[in-house]
Amino acid sequence: MGTAAPPAPPRRPWAHLAAGVFALLLLYPLTGMLARVGRWQWGGQIGAASLASIRVSLLLTALAMLIVVAVGTPAALYIRRASRRARAWWQAALLLSILLPALALGILLTLALRPEGVVGGLLLRLGMATSNSPAAFVLTQVYVSLGYYVLGALVALDAIPPALEQQAALLGLRAGQVFARVTLPLARLGLAAALSLAWVRAIGEFGAVVITAYYPAGMPVQLWIHLQSFGLPAVMPLLLAFLLAALPLPLLLHLLAQGRRRA
Amino acid sequence: MLEVELKKHRRGLTVEAAFTLEAGAALGLFGPSGAGKSTVLACLAGIEAPDHGHIRLGDRLLFPPPLPLHRRSVGYLTQEPNLFPHLTVEGNVAFGLPRARARTPEQREWLERLRRQLHLDDCWSASVARISAGQARRVALARMLAHRPALVLLDEPFTGLDRALVRGLIADLLEWRQALGFTLIAVDHQAEVLSRLCPQVLAMEAGRIVERGTWAELRLSSSASLRALLQPL
Repeated sequence: MGTAAPPAPPRRPWAHLAAGVFALLLLYPLTGMLARVGRWQWGGQIGAASLASIRVSLLLTALAMLIVVAVGTPAALYIRRASRRARAWWQAALLLSILLPALALGILLTLALRPEGVVGGLLLRLGMATSNSPAAFVLTQVYVSLGYYVLGALVALDAIPPALEQQAALLGLRAGQVFARVTLPLARLGLAAALSLAWVRAIGEFGAVVITAYYPAGMPVQLWIHLQSFGLPAVMPLLLAFLLAALPLPLLLHLLAQGRRRA
Repeated sequence: MLEVELKKHRRGLTVEAAFTLEAGAALGLFGPSGAGKSTVLACLAGIEAPDHGHIRLGDRLLFPPPLPLHRRSVGYLTQEPNLFPHLTVEGNVAFGLPRARARTPEQREWLERLRRQLHLDDCWSASVARISAGQARRVALARMLAHRPALVLLDEPFTGLDRALVRGLIADLLEWRQALGFTLIAVDHQAEVLSRLCPQVLAMEAGRIVERGTWAELRLSSSASLRALLQPL
């Protein structure tokens, strides 16, 4: 049923050279890991604080991602079916949440969720302090990453021809079954790629989190504290852990998604 | 019995159709491009909702209100086979049926019969990405028949296929209609194809029904454009 793509025209050697230089430029910042900054420090207080920040970042970001998927997936399904005008409004709102400078978002969130406010007061009565708490940390991460996930999910869902889902319904499947047996299998890699973007955005967030949740310190805030208090030798081990936690999974998912799209 | 009375506003065209059809009968919708034939089929399938009117299939009211697609018992084949690309041929044909272990002997036998009679043995376990266009149409046909629909809607499902394949698919459809007794409404721009499937024809022009009768009666139509459409190339 598929048709083979026409062969690409041959490229000149200088084009390969230019592309290689471009790739080196892209990856060049990683060479900073090899910089001579003195003996890396991990012992005592530095190691304990680093381990605690890794634990905070991984656990709370995972929780934030659960919320992002639980809220973002139905939202993307709804927006996908919205009229063109409604969809434009939704996309503007999502883009706004992405484009808002992180520091500004942190200040706005802190003000909007102040304890004397309606929402902040309600959350406080439910035992969730909206500043310098795990709840504040998770909430901030949800805000900074939700837009990325929903926009990515929309791209994944838009790639599925509606006729396939209509056909599944005509074959006797209810809406939930159509989602589980047609929509999700066809969009899963795109959704995973969207989630990986959201993960990177959330786990790496510094500007907003440093305002709303200086404590408990996640990896980005702890890196900043180490930098201020102990200098680069204390930063490097945590920086390596940070890169290992943030990058491999999203990278793999993106490559898989691209491979599936080409297939 | 299928009772149809519908009105649907499209950009620059209002489609109006009213007709009845005995259970098990076959009716061709014929007319120039843009006459509203596919709109009528889409409303019957439930892909689009009419603006006014009613549609009843036996004792089941399809509209209004729009009956959800999964409760319609309607098979709908279009120009695209719309196979599920993540499934094999078997997965597509058995889609919506209980999983293999939970199938009754009767369901297993039914699937086996579809596989055999629609010549799907060779590709049964293959991914649908690896089958030919002709096989894909037969898979779509088998998938639809697996559910024994009460009403089958065909919207130019033979477009792009060679004559031998079209002839074979028409023979298959006629045979299965005989066996299952479904009501059939078909749209095709080739009168030759449509007349083989449906002895009765309903001609549409500019969103309205202008003639109903046999193909011989249509050839005597007062509409010059319809007579022109019936001329051989």
